[in-house]
This record gives sequence, C-alpha cells and structure tokens, in this order.
Amino acid sequence: MPTTLLELREVGKVFGDTVALAPTSLAIEEGSFVAIVGPSGCGKSTMFNVIAGLLRPDGGEVVLRGATITATTGHVGYMLQKDLLVPWRTVEDNITMATRLTRRVTDEDRAEARRVARQYGLGEFLRHYPSALSGGMRQRVAFMRTLVTHQQLLLLDEPFGALDAQTRLEMQEWLLRVWKDTGRTVLFITHDVDESIFLSDRIVVMSPRPGRVVADLANPLPRPRGIHTLLEPEFIALKARVLGLLHGGDL
Amino acid sequence: MRRRVLLNVGVPILSLLLVLGVWQLIVVGGHVASYIAPRPRAAITAVTSQWSTLWPLILGTIRETIYGYLLGAVLGFALGVVMAKIPVVQRLVYPVILVSQAVPVIALAPVLVIILGFGIVPKIVIVTWIVFFPVTVNVLDGLGHVDPDLKNLARVYGASRWRTFVQIEVPASTTPLFSGLKIGAIYAVTGAIIGELAASEGNSLALYQEHANSNLNTAAVYGTTIVMTLIGIAWFLLVVGLEVWSTPWQRRSVARRRWRRGADDPTG
Ligand SMILES: Nc1ncnc2c1ncn2[C@@H]1O[C@H](COP(=O)(O)OP(=O)(O)O)[C@@H](O)[C@H]1O
Ligand SMILES: [Mg+2]
Repeated sequence: MPTTLLELREVGKVFGDTVALAPTSLAIEEGSFVAIVGPSGCGKSTMFNVIAGLLRPDGGEVVLRGATITATTGHVGYMLQKDLLVPWRTVEDNITMATRLTRRVTDEDRAEARRVARQYGLGEFLRHYPSALSGGMRQRVAFMRTLVTHQQLLLLDEPFGALDAQTRLEMQEWLLRVWKDTGRTVLFITHDVDESIFLSDRIVVMSPRPGRVVADLANPLPRPRGIHTLLEPEFIALKARVLGLLHGGDL
Repeated sequence: MRRRVLLNVGVPILSLLLVLGVWQLIVVGGHVASYIAPRPRAAITAVTSQWSTLWPLILGTIRETIYGYLLGAVLGFALGVVMAKIPVVQRLVYPVILVSQAVPVIALAPVLVIILGFGIVPKIVIVTWIVFFPVTVNVLDGLGHVDPDLKNLARVYGASRWRTFVQIEVPASTTPLFSGLKIGAIYAVTGAIIGELAASEGNSLALYQEHANSNLNTAAVYGTTIVMTLIGIAWFLLVVGLEVWSTPWQRRSVARRRWRRGADDPTG
C-alpha cells in the first residue's frame, strides 16, 4: 500500500471575479509521477502556487505527510518554464542556489552539486555561466537546482514548454531517468497531451472556467519508455481519451 | 581579445589625441592670441613646470572627490534600498531629493560655508550631494525591476528577506547600480571644484586656476582645467574597472578558476 505524500482538501482560489481554481481535492502518492493537463488559464499554476505556499487558498487545506502546510513555504521543489537561473552565478553555483538562500553553502553542498551535474550530463559546464548554455541545458541546470533542495515533492510547471520538439523529447527521457534514479514525487503541469502520457503514472485533466478536475486517469503504459512508446496502441487510446476530455466530447 | 583591448583602449586615446590636434589646428591656423587660447603644449608645460606647487592641490581635490564620492555612493545606495523597500518612505523622500537636485549647487556653497566653515567638510558635502542622486535613482529602479518570479522562487525555497536581498535583489541590480556610480563619478570632481571655488580660503586647485586667470596666465588656466578633467576621467575609469572586475559573467562564458576548491574535486 503506497503512502500518500500530498493531499489537497477542497482547495480553491478566486481572484476578484475569476474563479481560478474551484474547490479541488487531490491525493498524490509518494514516488509517483502525476501529470496535470488542461488548457491555458484553467488554474494549473494557481494550484501549484497554493501547494508551494505562495498563495493562500480561499478555503481548504494543503497537507504534506499528514501535516498542514497551507500557505507556508519551504516544503517543495518548484520549477517553471522560465529557468530563473541567475546570470551572475556559474552552473555549479546556480545548482546550490536554493541552499545559499537558506544557509551557508558547504563543501559537501558543492560536491553534491558537482556529482549530480556530472551524473546527468552537465559535468563539462560546471564553471560556465548560464548565458553560455542552450535552452535545454539551462532547464537541466534548473532541474538540478530543484533536485538538490532534497524536497521529496517536485512541482514542475511546464518546464519544457519553451523548448523545440526535438530537445523536448530528449529532456523528457532525461527527466524520466533522473526521476527513476532519485525516487522523487513529481507533479508535472503541461498542456501537451503527448508529454503528459509519455511521462506519467497518472493524468489529472482539468477544465477551464472555473478550473476544476474533470478526470483522473491511470496511465498503464509500461516503463521504461522511449520513442516506441509514442506508437503503441495504448498510447493512442489514452491520447484520444484525454483529447476528448479536453475538447468536451468525442473526437 | 587583443582586438578588443585595441578597440577599448586605443580608440579612446586616439579620439582624445584628435581633440588635441583640432585644438592645435584652431589655435595655430586661426592665429588665436595666446591669452585667449594657448597651444596644447603650452597648457601642458604650464602644469609640469609648476608641478611641485600643483601636486598638493591636486591631492587635495582628489581627497575631496574620493571622500565625497564614497559617502555619496553609500548614502545613495542605502537611500535607494530604504525607498525601494518602504513605499511610504519613497513617497515622502522622493520629492525632497528631487528638490535637493534642483537647488543650484553653486548657490548652496555659501550656505554650507556658513554652517561648516572653510575646511574639507563643505567640499565633501557638495560632492556627496551631487553623487548620491544618480545612485539612489538607479538603485531604486534596479530593485523595482527584479523578476518577481525569481523572488517567488526564493520564497518557495524558504529564503529569508535578508538572504533574498543579498543573494538575488542586489546582484540583479548591478547594472543600474553601476550606471548610477558612473554618472556620479563623472560629476564628483565638478562638485569638488565648485566646493573649492566657494569654500576655500587657502590653497586649492580651483583657487590656483582663479589666480592664474586674474594674472592673465591663460596657459595655466587651460592646464589646470585639463588636470581637473583628468582627475574626473581617472575616477570614472576606476569605477568602470570595478564594474568589469565585479561582473565577470557579462563578458565571460566560463568562470575563472576560483581560490576555494572542494577538497574532493578530482578535476582540481
Ligand atoms: N495573481 C492573479 N491575479 C488575478 N488573476 C489571476 C492571478 N493569477 C492567475 N489569475 C487568473 O486565474 C486564472 C488561472 O490562471 P493560471 O493558474 O495561471 O492558469 P494556467 O496555469 O492553467 O494557465 C486565469 O484566468 C488567470 O488570469
Ligand atoms: Mg500556467
């Protein structure tokens, strides 16, 4: 019986007249990879901001490992489409940035940053400044920075949204590899249905106005996954299902 | 690399030499009387021949410039930070500092002499008065434009306000900060000279020039002006140097090896 890591209990958020997120309940199992798909403006980022503690929900509770963390920060890893690397720090120092923001960075922190960077293809860029890196490389650094926070729960908000299709596929395979090695729990927002199916154990589909969960689908596709996964009948079937939900009816 | 040095150092020197050349051309070709404008060489000789008299005065001007500049930079930065962080203070103080800059500094000098006497203090105050403003305005602007997503990310990590300020907001504002510091550097010497003109009873570079002027020693007047200008340019270049040194990421793609290495790093 897998344990529940995160629980949203009737969490909602209204901005003025806009119901960004209707009261929503959701439970996330430890170690799982959950994709959240929905059209732009359906409240996905709002949900993340609530979980991260940046926004206080209008009602409801955010529970992590049984403890309420509603509207408090410092409990999750968080990454956006914008890599938010700081240009004045090298790759190594960007990876340790989260630590530097809470305490003094030790030699062990640096050693760990170098170790994960080497392990996942960034070894030769450790002393580079971010401006010298490609978009895909920058997102890898941003993810490494999220990883060394040692948070179990990682919130990734369309992290590959700005990358070209080829790089995006590479990044997806790369992410699955890191996820498998590190045993973290990932909540992954995307509006790309292929991406959501390729990556996840489970797909949460949201609808706009007001943003709410309309379906919660198990993803039966076997791992490890690769290009071949994209052609399997289960993949196509699941894709048809999700697209149908997103576009309100049959295809 | 060599090409860049050539461009950055060679071209400015060339353009200054060009100015001297044009000066020479106008004076010689236009048969300008030497009491109106001396030849460049005469102006320079007027300085070098009086070097032992001038050097202490130059040092005095440099001292006023440095003290006033450092005070103005620190004050300007602090004021910018406080105004950026506390909106009420910003609303209260902004009009005051605007008015402070609208006051003609020359008119201010006698008042400062009345209050502070003839020593170095009124000169420092004038330099500070001129320097703090561009620093404050630029720091305020820089801190106001730090990416809110970046600040949110720091919050998600559980960063304190202080660490967010030191690790994110200040480094993110270096470009505007140095804009303010560079503008201030160019004006600092002007402030010191104004201070010397209005508030010196004994020796100073400004009074030396005034004395030369009343003796119709035009070459010395021009020469002193060149000296003053050079002090300003040297100070400006120093600040530019500081900027270049402290912002390596703006020119390099790979960081220099740093003195602190992890003990376990096999690549050294
Ligand atoms: N800070 C805010 N103030 C006002 N409205 C907001 C704010 N943040 C989001 N919204 C609105 O809430 C809705 C959901 O936004 P968001 O969660 O960013 O959607 P998504 O990430 O799914 O594209 C949108 O209509 C958006 O305009
Ligand atoms: Mg969004």
